[in-house]
Amino acid sequence: MSCSEPEGRGGDPQQTGVVFNIQRFSIEDGPGIRTTVFMKGCPMRCVWCHNPEGIAFERQLMWFDVRCIGARDCLEACPNGALELGRSGMTIDRERCDACGRCADACPARALELVGKDYTPHEAFQEVYRDEAFYRNSGGGVTVSGGEPSMQPRFVAELLRLSKEAGLHTALDTCGFASGTVLEKLLESADMVLLDLKHMDPAKHLELTGVELEPVLENARMVSSSGRPVWVRTPVVPGCTDSAENIASIGRFIAEELPSVERWDLLAFNNTCGSKYSRLDMTWELEGVPLLSAEAMEALAEKARAAGVPEVCWSGTTRSS
Amino acid sequence: MEEAGALTARELWNPSPELPPRVSQLRDEYVDIAGRDHFRNEIMPFTTGTEWDTVWSPCLWGVVPDLFPFHKAFMESLPMMATKVDLPGDFWDKPLVVRAAIFFSEVVRNYLPVQILEGELIVGGHFNVALSRAQNRKEARSWRRATMKWMKEMDFLNSHGMGNAGATPGHLIPDYPRALELGFKGLVEYFRGLGEKAESRQQKEMLEALVICCEGARDLIRRYASEARRLAGECGDEERAGELLEMARICDKVSWEPPETFHEALQALWFVHMLVMVQESYPGPGLSPGRIDQYLYRYFIGDIESGRLDRQRARELLDCFWIKPNYAYDFMYKVGRTRGITSGYGQLITIGGHGAEGEDTSNELTWLILDVIEEMNLLEPKPNVRLHNGTPPELMKRVAGMIAGAQGAPFLLNFDEASEAALRWQGLPEEDIWDYAPVGCLENTLQGNDRSGTVDVNVNLAKAVELTLFDGKDQATGDRCGPRTGDPCRFGSWDDFKRAFETQLEAMLKRFMEVYDLSDSIRSRFEPTPYLSALVKGCAESGRDVTNAGPEHNFVTVEGVAFATAADSLSAVRKLVYEDGAVTMDELIQAIEDNFEGHEKLRQTLLNRAPKYGNDDDYADDVARYLSRFWTEEVFRHRTSTGRRYRGGYLSWNYWIAYAPSTAATPDGRRRGTYLSNGLCPVAGADRSGPTAVALSLGKLGLESAPNGDSHTISFNPSLLRGEERVDKLAAYLRGYGEKGGTALQVNVIDPETLNEAQRHPSDYTNLLVRVTGYNAYFVMLGREIQNEIIARESHEL
Repeated sequence: MSCSEPEGRGGDPQQTGVVFNIQRFSIEDGPGIRTTVFMKGCPMRCVWCHNPEGIAFERQLMWFDVRCIGARDCLEACPNGALELGRSGMTIDRERCDACGRCADACPARALELVGKDYTPHEAFQEVYRDEAFYRNSGGGVTVSGGEPSMQPRFVAELLRLSKEAGLHTALDTCGFASGTVLEKLLESADMVLLDLKHMDPAKHLELTGVELEPVLENARMVSSSGRPVWVRTPVVPGCTDSAENIASIGRFIAEELPSVERWDLLAFNNTCGSKYSRLDMTWELEGVPLLSAEAMEALAEKARAAGVPEVCWSGTTRSS
Repeated sequence: MEEAGALTARELWNPSPELPPRVSQLRDEYVDIAGRDHFRNEIMPFTTGTEWDTVWSPCLWGVVPDLFPFHKAFMESLPMMATKVDLPGDFWDKPLVVRAAIFFSEVVRNYLPVQILEGELIVGGHFNVALSRAQNRKEARSWRRATMKWMKEMDFLNSHGMGNAGATPGHLIPDYPRALELGFKGLVEYFRGLGEKAESRQQKEMLEALVICCEGARDLIRRYASEARRLAGECGDEERAGELLEMARICDKVSWEPPETFHEALQALWFVHMLVMVQESYPGPGLSPGRIDQYLYRYFIGDIESGRLDRQRARELLDCFWIKPNYAYDFMYKVGRTRGITSGYGQLITIGGHGAEGEDTSNELTWLILDVIEEMNLLEPKPNVRLHNGTPPELMKRVAGMIAGAQGAPFLLNFDEASEAALRWQGLPEEDIWDYAPVGCLENTLQGNDRSGTVDVNVNLAKAVELTLFDGKDQATGDRCGPRTGDPCRFGSWDDFKRAFETQLEAMLKRFMEVYDLSDSIRSRFEPTPYLSALVKGCAESGRDVTNAGPEHNFVTVEGVAFATAADSLSAVRKLVYEDGAVTMDELIQAIEDNFEGHEKLRQTLLNRAPKYGNDDDYADDVARYLSRFWTEEVFRHRTSTGRRYRGGYLSWNYWIAYAPSTAATPDGRRRGTYLSNGLCPVAGADRSGPTAVALSLGKLGLESAPNGDSHTISFNPSLLRGEERVDKLAAYLRGYGEKGGTALQVNVIDPETLNEAQRHPSDYTNLLVRVTGYNAYFVMLGREIQNEIIARESHEL
């Protein structure tokens, strides 16, 4: 490195990132076969979030009842006495647990797992680079997602830079609620952007995601004006975002203000994440909410196409009529 | 996309409703064996009538241990049930190879029933036989003595879960293109020409035998011509009568002359092929036609271009041809064809691939054959597509689309670059390698001149781990199975352990090569198959039978069984015992003796704290590579006494299940009885990093030292393969696999719900094909254990 002056918002090779998953053979997060690096920490609090382990920035302990063999090694390993294994399973005292991971290391059965692992950008890059042949043959690459990647900008910028320098296609998957300058910086090494647009009514947006709508729209415009291809993604959640009106107004916004959008994916709500919530001692608010029907998804996709967006796709699990 | 749920039987991959009525009827007729009283291709024994006659040879079935208990009964009962064949007066004065040729010829000329089914356009029905070996008293006595010796040793090795070995028929690609080019007439002229120059008595006798076989074949085919003519005379339907007369003309012609049209070529090919099964008295065991889209192309395109044939008729002819090899399965009608994995033969055809200059060789016939495969949905002939880096995107997409859409994709995908690198390592001539093709399940060979004994020796690699842990003794019985390598508790280091392991494995390999050699010499001395020799380059020229290293290339393949189980066991010992000290050798051995009863914590540690092959984990993959290179390089140093060189490969057929109970618990955390790993697949459930990681793990093994090729099966959930975008991603995955992975891949696209449903209602799912271990099988005809294993397989989500 020739430059000794640390760049304020630039990438930093020394800056570790907290990653909760590196998913290889990822085929849902952009073109081709990809590896998705999931960054921990998100500013939004969407009620339907299907990656609740990505919300908190801090590392968290999860207990898998099906794996536990009752060896109790974890109890002894915990320096804070935060664990209790009773008849109804493991209780984790989240106040006492400082997520040191000693219990997880002690468990022979992987029943305890620490969500969130520190990587240097280079370490993450090395993991990502393993599937290079599959990216090359599929037009795929690396996607940095979350959580919200812009919350760990120095790590993410460096990971994207390393990837791009190695000739990999790079995608940034953002919820859009971020500092514009940070996003701009990350865009330097991102070949494309996956951008979430969830709801176009400001009050509803605040209610459903916990944050204001306007910064999201502002960033969407900025990302589009950067010229990077954008794929918009909208989670279609029954009773939350699935009104025809909502889809139509997102469509209008894309058609009128986001010229670099190439494709819009409607992602059907799925309800398989309940167990993750309970492992984190969090509440899954959408318990029992039924899946959408394929017909309903198709109707919304029609609505979306009518708005004038070039390519609209829908995917996800649906109920049989 | 739909909610994941069981597919109804109707949604499965069925024969196409578009099938021409005649094809539909022929297909239904084949499937309904019970209702087919008028025609069953069941085994017919034929004898010389001597009291010492050999009609059943256990060595040939050595790699089917399920049959061990029955051999003695078959040896006695088959000659009793057999038809006595009238033989010429000077029969017993002839040398064995000539006697074998005469016997073959007399049977096909005068005894083999000739029957033409209603509507068929390709004829040739009965071929499942058990032929006398035509041995004289002295030969039979020697044969029997050697066979008993082999059986005893084989029985020990098999019952102790070490493996099996036997000189197995088939598993080669005869030189069909040459047979089509010359006809029997041209072959006979060639043999006679050689005979005039031949100096050795052995070669003269061999050539005489080859001529006799060709003449017998000719006479059988002429009987089909007569039968077709007879039926035409009786037939009220003018159109069918015309077809029968045309078939009579074709049979007359190809009985001696070479074929010129597509119809003639398909008919000639079927006769030539079917008679190999007669000669070897074995139903289609890896007897593979090779690259048919290449050598049949000139007949096809000649007819199309001259306007003699339209594409629809060409397709109908191929459909009719496609049914014929399936009749091999009638062999098992009464023996019980639902008894597990033995419902797989392996008349493997190959399409696609490249030419001598690396150019893609797919053609219009390739595409037509893909249509036929799709619309017929039959077990045989087993389809293989050769993929290479120049495979056109459209073809790649067609193949990926068929895999994605098919329930239990019917394909073997063979990857040229990795396959050819290994054949090069093996030392095959560079100018022939591009034209290789696999036989049986996936075993790579050259075409027309190569017998590589591709399933002949099967060694349980995990057993060598057990023998290392127990000082050469079988854990269950205490029987000595290997050398004394010492008490492992006294080993001070990983190197000590490794040395002991190598000693055990070397001793096992040596023992298997010895027992194989016994069967190979039995077959080469007492069981010549001159009709097959007429079709394999090198035999006529050398004067040696195909069973006696006559072909230009002669190898014997040692297939490594339970590779990942063994590799993960070694990794666990190295990491947890010798590096981390998390486990002591003492407690490990105790736990294995107790089959992990009361040692669950230790077992979980072995399962979760040791690196596992199949995850692109360099530690585990390094150990796996060491194992693969060690044993494959070791076998490559040895030859049989007939001069055939051993080479390595990975195909576990059903042994990964069969040897599960006779293999002790293993240091990877597996209990006795749990299935061993299959082919080069990771241990079930141990691969947690997805399909790209698995491919990369295979690619790191240095597989060129296993030139036979390797069986790798991967499962995808069908709900995740729907839509064109996903099909493109699958095609891209296959390209990446070709670049980085192993030599051969089979893809199952099926969800567990459908399989469960099929288990509950087998009669509704008779058409559900799955890929088992290198070949297809109808799911509902598999044994329950294998069904469960398939359901339990991890489904990779694409």
